[in-house]
Amino acid sequence: MQRDWIAPSAAGLGVRLQALGKRFGERTVLDAVNLDVAPGEFVAIVGRSGCGKSTLLRLLAGLETPSSGAVHLGDAASAAQRDDVRMMFQEARLLPWRTVLQNVQLGLDSRDAAARARDALAHVGLADRAGEWPAVLSGGQRQRVALARALVHRPRLLLLDEPLGALDALTRIEMQRLIESVWRELRFTAVLVTHDVAEAVALADRVLLVEDGNVTLDEPVALARPRAHGSAAFAELEGRVLARVLKEPPPEAAEAPKPRLVA
Amino acid sequence: MKGAHIRSLVPWLVPIAVVAGWELASRIGWLSSRILPEPFAVAAAFWNLLKSGELLNDVAISTGRALAGLAIGGGLGLALGLLTGTFKTAETLLDTTLQMVRNVPPLALIPLVILWFGIDESAKLFLVAIGVFFPIYLNTYHGIRAVDAGLIEMARSYGLKGWALYREVILPGALPSILVGLRFSLGLMWVLLIVAETISAQSGIGYMTMNAREFLQTDVVLVGVLLYALLGKLADLVARGLERRFLRWNPTYLGAAA
Repeated sequence: MQRDWIAPSAAGLGVRLQALGKRFGERTVLDAVNLDVAPGEFVAIVGRSGCGKSTLLRLLAGLETPSSGAVHLGDAASAAQRDDVRMMFQEARLLPWRTVLQNVQLGLDSRDAAARARDALAHVGLADRAGEWPAVLSGGQRQRVALARALVHRPRLLLLDEPLGALDALTRIEMQRLIESVWRELRFTAVLVTHDVAEAVALADRVLLVEDGNVTLDEPVALARPRAHGSAAFAELEGRVLARVLKEPPPEAAEAPKPRLVA
Repeated sequence: MKGAHIRSLVPWLVPIAVVAGWELASRIGWLSSRILPEPFAVAAAFWNLLKSGELLNDVAISTGRALAGLAIGGGLGLALGLLTGTFKTAETLLDTTLQMVRNVPPLALIPLVILWFGIDESAKLFLVAIGVFFPIYLNTYHGIRAVDAGLIEMARSYGLKGWALYREVILPGALPSILVGLRFSLGLMWVLLIVAETISAQSGIGYMTMNAREFLQTDVVLVGVLLYALLGKLADLVARGLERRFLRWNPTYLGAAA
């Protein structure tokens, strides 16, 4: 299979946020966020709903303009939309009046657009659905088409705005594996916003917690990939981050629950 | 397969029964031919008019008027709907006015139309055009307004703007609504044409029926009435065909295509 389009020629894009702030009217959503993401790194952002994590992502995508501070992508100070930055949304947002293949080709006007789109579809395992309408696909398949649509542009920064939030548990795990495998292969920088701490720990090199308009936790995940959800180290880290999100005291280490229940 | 054939006949049972009852009533003498001629007489009148070429001529003229009115009124409705749907300034400037005018029934304009245009072709075109204008205008406007903002944002983030964004996202998104407007318009088109042709005409189906009324040819009047029914049904079929063709992607039509 020809796959030259995915050659990791342009590796990941480094991200630097300098005192980035965003206000909507009176409400301060983000307050002077400083953050560095290394090229090729996979960062997950967790937080309660409404904490500003999606706004942060939309600022990276150039869909919002900062109220203060700056976003640097690679060498450029940038707030504009760029061709090497692609976003996956919570919903697949496929054009229902275009076939799967045409959807993947959206915004691609090179001569080999169709061939590249086919390759991207093959990459997400949907080569045989190219001619179908989005309406006949399942939710998971739609998100896979959306992933192919993002990948076909050879993104150097892929932004994921809770793209798996609406999927059932099994499809979710499948999609997580798919995202991890394309990320490992293509070496783009990935920023994933999620409310699922387990998902963040499973995928990311670093888990960030956004709270009250700022990053209040920056937790490296030093687990070997691929990560097993069941392992003790995984569970311990997940518990710790979750407790931090919920502002509860951290769980009693990572020991198995003591058999205190007596019938 | 056999079941499907039988089922496709079921909708025709009632019309057939009505015609049979009508024929029977005429034969027995319950219905005078001055009020309602028997179906065979209507069929015979239809055949005679068809043979003489009068019928086709009148149908062609009426259809021409209807389509010309649709093209003018529908075209303007589409253009203005696209304008007000797309540009906030155009909406602010025009929409209130159009919404006010919309509440005037086109038929209320007949006295004015006669004063302005007399009783010639332009009066009929004007009536049809103004009647079909509003369904298409309103549905185009709302169709464009109702295009999923998420899709527009997605397309923008994929680098689409200007005409490309319009062609790929906004127009196809508004199309289902525009076609609903077209379907409404096709129905109204005939209604308005009938009225216009009944007021005064030297040709067309309306002229044919009014002329026949003078000579108490109820069979010819009925031919005219049935022609309008047929043409209306035909227009509806065309509109449905267009929906099936352009909205293939819509789950509503996916089953029908299979």
